[in-house]
Amino acid sequence: MLELRKDIFADERDDNLKEIGKGTQRQDMLGHVTGTSTYFDDHKLQGMLHLKVVRSVHSHARLRRIETTEAEQSQGVRRIIRGADVPRNLNTLLSLINFGKDDEPSLAVDKVRYKGEPIVAVVADSPREASEAMAKVRIEYEPLPTVFDVEDALKPGAPVVNETYPKNTFTYYEKYDHQKLRFGDVERGLAQADHVLEQRYQMSPIEHAPTETNGSIAAPDTNGRYTVYTSTQALFFSVDTCAKILDVPSNTFHFIGGTVGGGFGGKVDTITEPLCILAAMLTGRPVRYVLGREEEMQYGPPRGAERIYITDGVMRDGRIVARKVRAYFDSGAYTRLSSYAAVKCAAHLPGPYTIPNVYGDVYCVFTNRTPATAMRGFGVTAMDFAIECQMDKLAHIVGMDPMEFRILNAYRDGDMKAHRREAKNTALIECVQVAAEKAKWPLRDEFKRASSRQGGGGARAVVPAATREAHAPTVAAAQQRTVYDRAPATAPSREPPPPPPPRPQAPSHGAARFSSVFGTRRR
Amino acid sequence: MPITVKTFGSAGEAASALSSDRAARYLGGGTLVMRALNEGDISISTIVRANDHALRRIDAAGPRVTIGAGVTFAKILAERDLAFLHAPARSIGGPAVRNMGTVGGNLFAPNPYGDFTVALLALDATVTVQGGFGARNVPIEEFLQSRDRQAGSLVISISCQKPTNSEAFRYRKITRIRPKGGSVITLAAYVPLSSGRLLDARLALGSMAPMPIRARAAERALEGRPLDASSISAAASAITEGTSPVDDALGSAWYRREIAGVHLRRLLSGQE
Repeated sequence: MLELRKDIFADERDDNLKEIGKGTQRQDMLGHVTGTSTYFDDHKLQGMLHLKVVRSVHSHARLRRIETTEAEQSQGVRRIIRGADVPRNLNTLLSLINFGKDDEPSLAVDKVRYKGEPIVAVVADSPREASEAMAKVRIEYEPLPTVFDVEDALKPGAPVVNETYPKNTFTYYEKYDHQKLRFGDVERGLAQADHVLEQRYQMSPIEHAPTETNGSIAAPDTNGRYTVYTSTQALFFSVDTCAKILDVPSNTFHFIGGTVGGGFGGKVDTITEPLCILAAMLTGRPVRYVLGREEEMQYGPPRGAERIYITDGVMRDGRIVARKVRAYFDSGAYTRLSSYAAVKCAAHLPGPYTIPNVYGDVYCVFTNRTPATAMRGFGVTAMDFAIECQMDKLAHIVGMDPMEFRILNAYRDGDMKAHRREAKNTALIECVQVAAEKAKWPLRDEFKRASSRQGGGGARAVVPAATREAHAPTVAAAQQRTVYDRAPATAPSREPPPPPPPRPQAPSHGAARFSSVFGTRRR
Repeated sequence: MPITVKTFGSAGEAASALSSDRAARYLGGGTLVMRALNEGDISISTIVRANDHALRRIDAAGPRVTIGAGVTFAKILAERDLAFLHAPARSIGGPAVRNMGTVGGNLFAPNPYGDFTVALLALDATVTVQGGFGARNVPIEEFLQSRDRQAGSLVISISCQKPTNSEAFRYRKITRIRPKGGSVITLAAYVPLSSGRLLDARLALGSMAPMPIRARAAERALEGRPLDASSISAAASAITEGTSPVDDALGSAWYRREIAGVHLRRLLSGQE
């Protein structure tokens, strides 16, 4: 049951809603319930060939030799495609917006960096004949040391996963190995806090598990063009990615998308279209390339795993005075979209709370795991999980009700956010109040009366003076063990993050507008 | 090479077709064979089917029940006389899999599947197999031990004694998601009490070895004793003897060994 609370912020809205709050038929619903929706795989074209990919069995290995002679002679085989056949065999998805370096081949040439990386594509008359030919491809590997842990990957001497990024971290603004957020003086804040709580959070990769696996069908059209039926959820993004990899103008392609059989972020990586079109170019025939279910589960990109450390300083009265976050995004072997996830994550710190001292280091790290990609709020979801777990624990430590604790620390209109932007149209307090009311969760009167529009600004709108980082405080903040700590009390000292590079002049707040991706001034 | 589908009117003809072709596989409900083909398994090049009514017959009126190898789990769930097998049948897949998956195919299902077979093992079922030279009856334990070499023969039916009462046969499948999860461990126990003491108790485990196995040490701990806290405790501590679980996506070998005794204790003491 949808209920609109129009009484909240009534004066801020021109209340003539036409759609929200009304039942509206989804435009694709009739097709779905009658089974007539058309998916990319519903196109059975005359003379269609089938493409299958031979994948790496190692997580990290040099490719010594790829022998395809026997496979080429296998029955029904029309073409074997190797890395050298791909016009531009190195790409990164966000290169279309000039973000990141080309780091991922369509077909591996010199080495493989994750288990399941494509090495050779087989194009045959039937899926069966393609499978039979795949079994005849001989690949000699020389296994290399692997790294699967984000923090291990940053240690000196760790195996280099991706030579494009020799430090195993994505490079931001051509020089930084992580995203950095500094606001106030977090070390002083922690030193002054009544309680300090440090916790570690570890997320696992999550597969999108779409009903329809990734796939596409490419067919030669007239005038040298190609028609591509695809499951992509980012049609124009895929068009341009294919144009780049195949080194042709994007008007070479007529992409036909439409019904996506489950996307959730797992169908933006354009992992089937380039090879599918290339096979159509090389054979002059329609070609179909669809991931099997096991391929989708094992090699289809998942939501990335994240490791997050949060250290919070909180006063006895419940005010959070410092939040220090170190987060590692496991990008897998290639960048895909994790570089952007780290930017989003840094932009999200410290959550929807007003905290005077905030410190964030967010790393996008390369490991020998399956490349990670977009999925439903990636970059923010895991961090929010960690932050909200942390909020409950802090409330417990200071003996406050968790709902009231959130209202107390919530950002309000006029507050200065850690990014030096003024908070506007904040509504966390009202959301907590409504949630408490619906759950029949008792709130004390002063918290029931709290409002996002009151109590903000003033001292809370001040940008603290920038702190110098060169001299880290010699005295560590007092650590307080809590019932939540599972590790033994003598926690081993963790590797400190590498010393930060010299910091550019802190921008004056307010006037500068920042693009979330480039970090440069928007014109 | 394209795949050939051969359909026969009798189980005997299908069995001969299987025994004469190494790359032939019998297709029951298709939940295993079609999956393998769709994933590009090139070891299968012939599919053998049989439209033999005998394969779909259930004879459950007497004290000994016989179930055709082609009987689906949905059919078992619809058969009131097979109530003792409803729990294992219901634990398999979702409705679509239960509508297609067969009792015979389940005998060949690799981990983490094959739960119904675990139940049949605890019931000490007999497997009727049609080979090139006629039918023969094989105890299920022996059948499972030579499962990988059974490709050239066809399972016709499975039979077992009905448990004397509903308490005598117990079944429990431990999964991480419910319903429809793959097995972390599957437990089946045949624990008939005769004047208060256990006689011929049988315990079977799934996902604790490459195929369903009997937990002999735990069975010995129960034999001749009442089903009480001390015998249950003795069985629980012996349950992992002779097992060889592996790490997979659903659980580690260590975890499986740790929880096997816990779940056996709950199963035998009637806890949820």
